[in-house]
Amino acid sequence: MPLRSSTLLLAALLAAPWPASAALRVVTTTEGLAALAREVGGDRVAVISLSRGVQDPHFVDANPILAVKLRDADLLVDVGLELEIGWLPPLVNQSRNAAIQPGGPSRLTAAGSVQVLDVPTGTIDRSRGDLHPGGNPHFLTDPRRGAQVARAIAAKLAVLDPAGAAGYQARAAAFSARLDAALARWKVQLQPLAGRKLFVHHRTLTYFLDWTGLESAGEMEPRPGTPPPSSHLADLVALARKEGIKACVVENFYDSKADELVARLAGGTVVRIPGDVGGEAAASSYEAWLDLLVQRISAAVK
Amino acid sequence: MRITLVASLLAVGWAGPIVAAATDPAPTSAPADPERQKLEAQIARELGTGATAPAAEPAPTASGHGGSASWARLLVLPDISAVGTFTAAQDGYDVARLSPREGPLGPAGKPTFLFQELELGLQAVIDPYFRADAFIAFTPRGASVEEAYLTALALPAGLQLKAGLFYAPFGRLNTLHPHSWDFTDAPLARGRLLATENLSGPGLDLLWLTPLPWFAELQLAAQTTDPYDGGEGRLTGTVKLQQFVSLSEALSLGVGLSAARRDEGAGAWRDLGDLDLFLKYRPVSGRAYLTLQGELYARKFRGHAPAAVPLAAAFQGDGAGGAGGYLQVLWRRDTWFACGARYDRAPAAGESPRGTEQRWALVGHWYMSEFSRLALQVAYDQRPGGASGWESILYLEFVMGAHGAHPF
Repeated sequence: MPLRSSTLLLAALLAAPWPASAALRVVTTTEGLAALAREVGGDRVAVISLSRGVQDPHFVDANPILAVKLRDADLLVDVGLELEIGWLPPLVNQSRNAAIQPGGPSRLTAAGSVQVLDVPTGTIDRSRGDLHPGGNPHFLTDPRRGAQVARAIAAKLAVLDPAGAAGYQARAAAFSARLDAALARWKVQLQPLAGRKLFVHHRTLTYFLDWTGLESAGEMEPRPGTPPPSSHLADLVALARKEGIKACVVENFYDSKADELVARLAGGTVVRIPGDVGGEAAASSYEAWLDLLVQRISAAVK
Repeated sequence: MRITLVASLLAVGWAGPIVAAATDPAPTSAPADPERQKLEAQIARELGTGATAPAAEPAPTASGHGGSASWARLLVLPDISAVGTFTAAQDGYDVARLSPREGPLGPAGKPTFLFQELELGLQAVIDPYFRADAFIAFTPRGASVEEAYLTALALPAGLQLKAGLFYAPFGRLNTLHPHSWDFTDAPLARGRLLATENLSGPGLDLLWLTPLPWFAELQLAAQTTDPYDGGEGRLTGTVKLQQFVSLSEALSLGVGLSAARRDEGAGAWRDLGDLDLFLKYRPVSGRAYLTLQGELYARKFRGHAPAAVPLAAAFQGDGAGGAGGYLQVLWRRDTWFACGARYDRAPAAGESPRGTEQRWALVGHWYMSEFSRLALQVAYDQRPGGASGWESILYLEFVMGAHGAHPF
């Protein structure tokens, strides 16, 4: 290996991930939560997300390197509702950071601050697929819930860093006000489209539909985590033809083959969206990500 | 269809409006319609799958109301899981005699169905200081505790302590439960040089996560082990240094170095060494990845010869020094499929002439869901003296209960 490459690699290995100036080191499981933490934390906090916006948050690798980030965390913010069940628990156990264990003083599970939808009832077994028994964890597609989570993060930061409490609360209030203004703007745009139907790939847009007034006509995955049978896709095509459904919305980390097929046979379009903040260059903040979702989906269902 | 529809309506009616709101807005099917059948056939052709019947509705519960995770949590139950593994083996030669090892084996030339194991897992944080993990294996030989240990969660200075019965922190494969392996059996060297199954025993394991900016963990363990069942349990000390570094956002490298010394009695010692390597390339988006994994094992007896190596253990190659290892690649194509290849070599055992045995294996996996998997492994075995033979294993696995973490 050339000397320069070796030096760069060594420098990368030795580089501390945290800036020394931050009062608190916050680790989040997703980029969406990281964006909210940055909004309310400002310069007083350094924020790292364990996953990237282009990743399916259900299937992040439990890479031990992530445990090192958790070791140094003053606060861990996770989504909860078993979204991270396949990778977060072993990392928390490896981290040696007892305070970020579930229920610990440095752990905030965002799901606890919002009203959860899609809580399954009746028989809960896996004949219904790999469902989330506690409810749908994709609540950040709703700006109202996003604001609630931001306020919960601010409150937690205030407890952990009382000297910055006033700043956290002020930034959370300003952020909520900004989201309220955006919400009013988006609602004006979406109002004429209320009741329009679309297909989604996985049940990730429940909360988005809840505030926009749009409706889901079905998912490509009839059972979460199982491949769509052709009979199901044929049902969707038939329904789309009958009801004039034009949009198949799919996050950019999913295989969109089924969505493309249904859209082509039904004469509709596939709407690819970033699954989280950072899922595309344009989705650089929480507000920008939601704006992108509104623009793309509303254009497709018009 | 009509019965299903009536049952669904009854279920919705019974559960009330809340259930109706949470029920999938599943479109209705009309399979008898020729246009509809034509459409389904076209979709099946383009997806490369067979035509399928509509997915069955979930079976109604006897009471009409199931539990929920939050209710279960209120009961303070541990996470309970069960992993069942079954195999069908077809061997072209007498593997048990010529290449003895633990694993799914059948008589030469005769297909054999085998129940391999049902592993029951119980895991929970038990108080503010400890979590407990227990794994009980039910096999055709009976029930045994594979692991049962406490882990201290709140020690200072990056320390962690495990106490109980656990797999020795030696190498990579030895720390994993067999259903987490990429292949349907262990490489030859594991059985010939380390232990019949995983090297394990009751004892203490002190782990230190160093303050370095990459993952560097040092482990010191003291256990009573019996590598080849039927011998005498004796004190074994193990030291392991495991490191993981990110070479890029998509590329991770893990390197481990392990050494163990086991008291063999009468002033004799068994020394074991292991070097393990793990390289994983996974682009940040998507489920596809490629891994390269390998281990080198070495064993040496010092002092007097082992006091008494049980006959069965000696048959598997215990009692002599030697070296061996394996190198494997696995490509996970997507959510549903993976394939891999492995080369392994180890000292020959059983009734084969002394020398080195080599094996080449190919494996294909079909992940039917997160909780069931089918695999087919075909291997070609070459023993000293020019003898060789084929082995094939069909492997079925299911997982019940708590959703476990995906091994890295």
